[in-house]
Amino acid sequence: MRFSAVFILAFVCAAVGLSVAWLKVDRLSVPLDPAAEATVWDVEARVAFEGRGQPAKVALTLPDTPPGFALLDEDFVSRSFGLAIRGAERDQPRQAVWTVRRAAGAQALYYHMKVYPKREEVAPDPGPAPTFPEVPEYAEPLRSAIEAVLAKTRGQSADIVTFTGLLVSTINKSDDENVKLIRKSATEETWAKMLTEVLAGARIPSRIVYGLPLEQEFVDMPLTPWLEVHDGERWHGFDPQSGRNGYPMNFLIWSYDDPHITVAKGVRGVEVGFSANKTPMTQLSVANRVESKLDTGLMALSLQDLPVRTQNVYRVLLMVPLGAFVIVLMRGLVGVPTFGTFMPVLVALAFRETKLMAGIALFLIVVSAGLAIRVALTQLRLLLMPRLASVLVIVIGLMLGISLLSAKLGIEQGLSIALFPMVILTMTIERMSIVWEERGPATAIKEFLGSLFVAVGGYFAMTEPRLVYLMSTFPELLLVVLAMCLCFGAYTGYRLSEILRFRDLAKR
Amino acid sequence: MLFFDTWLRLRNAGILGLNARNRDYIMRHNPRRRYPLVDDKLTTKRLAIEAGIAVPQLYATFETEHDLQKLGERLAPYSEFVIKPAHGSGGSGVLVIDGRRKDLVVKPDGRGLSLEEVEFHVSNILSGVYSLGGVRDDAMVEYRVRVDPIFDPVSYQGVPDIRLLVYRGVPTMAMVRLPTRQSDGKANLHQGAVGVGIEIATGLTVHGVWQNRIVAEHPDFGVSLSHIEIPNWPRLLELGARCYELTGLGYLGVDIVIDRTHGPLLLELNARPGLAIQIANRRGLRGRLEAIDRLESIPGTAVERCELARELFRIH
Repeated sequence: MRFSAVFILAFVCAAVGLSVAWLKVDRLSVPLDPAAEATVWDVEARVAFEGRGQPAKVALTLPDTPPGFALLDEDFVSRSFGLAIRGAERDQPRQAVWTVRRAAGAQALYYHMKVYPKREEVAPDPGPAPTFPEVPEYAEPLRSAIEAVLAKTRGQSADIVTFTGLLVSTINKSDDENVKLIRKSATEETWAKMLTEVLAGARIPSRIVYGLPLEQEFVDMPLTPWLEVHDGERWHGFDPQSGRNGYPMNFLIWSYDDPHITVAKGVRGVEVGFSANKTPMTQLSVANRVESKLDTGLMALSLQDLPVRTQNVYRVLLMVPLGAFVIVLMRGLVGVPTFGTFMPVLVALAFRETKLMAGIALFLIVVSAGLAIRVALTQLRLLLMPRLASVLVIVIGLMLGISLLSAKLGIEQGLSIALFPMVILTMTIERMSIVWEERGPATAIKEFLGSLFVAVGGYFAMTEPRLVYLMSTFPELLLVVLAMCLCFGAYTGYRLSEILRFRDLAKR
Repeated sequence: MLFFDTWLRLRNAGILGLNARNRDYIMRHNPRRRYPLVDDKLTTKRLAIEAGIAVPQLYATFETEHDLQKLGERLAPYSEFVIKPAHGSGGSGVLVIDGRRKDLVVKPDGRGLSLEEVEFHVSNILSGVYSLGGVRDDAMVEYRVRVDPIFDPVSYQGVPDIRLLVYRGVPTMAMVRLPTRQSDGKANLHQGAVGVGIEIATGLTVHGVWQNRIVAEHPDFGVSLSHIEIPNWPRLLELGARCYELTGLGYLGVDIVIDRTHGPLLLELNARPGLAIQIANRRGLRGRLEAIDRLESIPGTAVERCELARELFRIH
């Protein structure tokens, strides 16, 4: 019963920690790799027109939640115009409405957005399934041509997706007379529209989406029309020129069905052009912008709201549990003997500052010199507390000496000795000298090397850049470390050292 | 592969590891608040005397540096005594004196110590040199046990002691710890003493363990370690079993010495007894502990529990 209670608790902790972390990754695109770079696109819509010296009103359709993209930021350049944003309603897309009492001469208004493509392939809008369209009343001879092409295509395809692909490519390429007739009925602008009408002849729901393929930077481009077909489950995209199934890479959908994304009153010559350029950004700052837009509260549990100094402190503190877990494993699973319980973690923390090799060297120097002096003190028969204090004084003196000497010699690493926790050094020396006397040098050196070994293990766990990043970005992972510690607290198996110790009992 | 093979063999043999001992037995059966009863040897001794359990006679205690002034005077009546820290562990800080020469007291190896040197030793004890965590401690002076002659051929100086593992009041496993030259006459396995398993039912020794390895002969004398008959075995078992009521600790190590005139005497108790007893007996503890746990009830008196142990563990 005790057994399962531990595991339930551990499971709950791990589940909570991991799910909060997963939400951050999924919803906010917080990267798991600190070096992850993201490409953010600056997309600009420029609405140019000529004022006629009378009250003017210009409305521009805005994308609302473009599928596959996170909207990081948006702003408007409105000049003397008043600006109102109309939110999306039924049948009515989101719109920016600019108005002015008197507009004269050439004018340009701008809408700016920063978007981050979450996935390369656009997942189509999941909206409700459309109804099946009525067969349109085509004029002859177009009607018979369409019927012939539809019948032929139907015979060569299996389902709506293959049917549409085949149909679109046939209409684009075939030399068939019927196809030529259909092709001739449409201009470049009405091409996509014509495709939807032909598809309606087969009662296939289709629509045109207008968007921008964010693949390369561009200036002053119109929206690209793209064909979408609903197969009863979801929308499928098709290239209206080739019939290829899918979407362009990073296709930012601006509007559905309606090619006219501006509505203007009192002005003439309205033209809309789109430009896009990419900015590299660390994925983490993208995540922060996503959070500031969505305001999910998920980032409340992260270090960045703290002052930088405190952040740095916590960046270290959050690693201590990992160091402690290394000790738990080394002692409980491997059976490495150490001085004290958490002494190795503190030494590992000091190694963090001094760098490993210099740290080990300094640690060895101070402990062995201290030990020699401690042995000398034994001869003086001092009482315990004064003796500990004396060792402490000597340890600090040694540290100062090493720092001064290395400053003279220009060895920078020597200066960092000051970062060693001196009380820990003193207690290590004291403990070691007692073990040395009671159990002999072999045991003392074994325990000392054990502690050093565990400290080095802890050092690697606590300085691994990836782990440091994960712990400081996802502090909720502390719960996972807690869960691991809890689980290990219920471990009653052998330690590796016991396998060795009891090996004689395994003989038969 | 060899490693996992060993692992499985140990598990099948019911060998108890430290993690399992701590979690399944010590934490379950030894309430923390009862630890002080066994950690302080003076308290243990007082409790034992109240319960009528035989212990080595206490000659004097020293609690403050001030008491040291009277050290010479208080030790004057005795020429043989043992000085030990009340909170010591593993035999550390124990000073054995077995005679006097002029102004000196003499250690078993013949070295004489001046009164000042004895004072320094006691002062070290008081300042906590030998206690866990270095906290200040009391020093106690007690009767020096005279070893039963049965152990003369197998013990190097010092006093062998018998470790009984008492689980829920039932003596479960036993071994005798024999000092060696390496252990400097101390009956402590860590320091190099030999542990020899004892059959619970008969009180006869079986095999030895030295430095975690199975041995058949004493490392110093080369004499066989098996088939030594521990004197007064039933009384010794009963003494161990009674310590359960004394402390309320369900997983208890009882250390007993056999004095040539006074018979079995309780030396100290241990709330975290070690696992080497398994090697000395070539047998895992788990099976025996579980056999006791399977019992519907455990008898209330020590005599009945010893009877039960002899019945349960008849076959070694």
